[in-house]
Amino acid sequence: MSHFVDVDALWKVLVAGLLGGAGLAAVYALGLVGLSAYTAEDTGSAARPVGLAVAAACLLIVLVGPVSGSM
Amino acid sequence: MDANTVLLGVVVATALTFDFTNGFHDTANAMATSIATRALPPRVAVALSAMLNFVGAFLSLKVAATIANGIVDSGAITLTVVFAGLVGGLAWNLLTWYFGIPSSSSHALIGGVVGATLIAAGASAVKGAGIVSKVLIPAVLAPVFAIVVATIGTYLVYRITANVPDRVRTRGFRLGQIGSASLVSLAHGTNDAQKTMGVITLALIADHSIGKGDGTPFWVIVACAFVIALGTYIGGWRVIRTLGKGLTEIESPQGFAAEASSAAVIFAASHFGFPLSTTHVCSGSIMGAGVGKRLAEVRWGLAGRMVTAWVCTLPAAALVGAGAWKGADLIGGTSGVAAVFVVAVAFAAGLYLAARRQPVNHANVNDEWTGKLAPAKEPVA
Repeated sequence: MSHFVDVDALWKVLVAGLLGGAGLAAVYALGLVGLSAYTAEDTGSAARPVGLAVAAACLLIVLVGPVSGSM
Repeated sequence: MDANTVLLGVVVATALTFDFTNGFHDTANAMATSIATRALPPRVAVALSAMLNFVGAFLSLKVAATIANGIVDSGAITLTVVFAGLVGGLAWNLLTWYFGIPSSSSHALIGGVVGATLIAAGASAVKGAGIVSKVLIPAVLAPVFAIVVATIGTYLVYRITANVPDRVRTRGFRLGQIGSASLVSLAHGTNDAQKTMGVITLALIADHSIGKGDGTPFWVIVACAFVIALGTYIGGWRVIRTLGKGLTEIESPQGFAAEASSAAVIFAASHFGFPLSTTHVCSGSIMGAGVGKRLAEVRWGLAGRMVTAWVCTLPAAALVGAGAWKGADLIGGTSGVAAVFVVAVAFAAGLYLAARRQPVNHANVNDEWTGKLAPAKEPVA
């Protein structure tokens, strides 16, 4: 089998796929949680800036992630 | 114009036709989920995908020509073999489009070329180990990887946003979906347009129009990029409907997770030099998106039919490729190739007319799935 399959490359593809696919998707979801905390009407004064910061940080990671990954 | 120039012209025309079907067959890969969740209006979705396919085709030239290098002995390649291989791929692409089945255009092309080479030059001209390691094993692994990544991604996305208000969630993921689907379109242009560039380059080398060491001429790159974008824009609505509505009912978080998974797996695979079929990855991702949302239903009967079609792709295209070579060889020369070309055009026209009788288009692509590809016609009031 190993003659036909580069097991090393396979693992890398799976790990990179998980990080980039599931990982970045989860980060984006986290950003939406932050955004909803920022836009919600009944949250306390502290939750709003934290929410915005989380949303901005997550969005940045999601935008930079694919670009850096393809280098 | 001598006979050889005519022959080369027919081969290039056939290659570009294949490129065109490659585009419209695979629009679904990137855009089916965005259309199903209404993140984008259908015609805007195909236009965006077409533009990104065009851009993607210029990004890299690494894959060009590998399609024949690792799979058959390039010494065995004649213009007729290239032509017959293309006809095999084309026929299978059109047939699966008619039945709305997403099947791999790359496998169809490889199958056609292998079939034509087998009958033209014998088994020794086909690189068996190359086919196993570069085609068969990735074909099995690609959907599995995609299912795993998309299942985990979908599960996480739903878990994390469980308390996010519906309004923010739906809008947020629709936007995210547009981004991730755009990446898939870009990757598709990069991967698939190059396959046709490779084939045309091969034909030019076989014809001695360009030397062995020469790169792909610029007009070939532009032509392939343009034709695949045009095909994408026409939109293979039948396949889009199967993937977006048939396989599972998709909500925007699932669509987002599925496209993110497809983009990541395709980019990761091409980065590590592991050729995958875009179609297999995207179909696997959508199945995973169905599995990852608890209690969401995947129509496994349809999934089973898709997998059956994937298994049949290589041998079926090979059979047509071999038949096309034999037919051209029996008649002989340029007129043989021309005769097969006419038969292929008649076959394509027949399928087109048959599809017209139960059309699937941008207007009815999102109708309720009733177990059949073509939605029931609205009674005229």
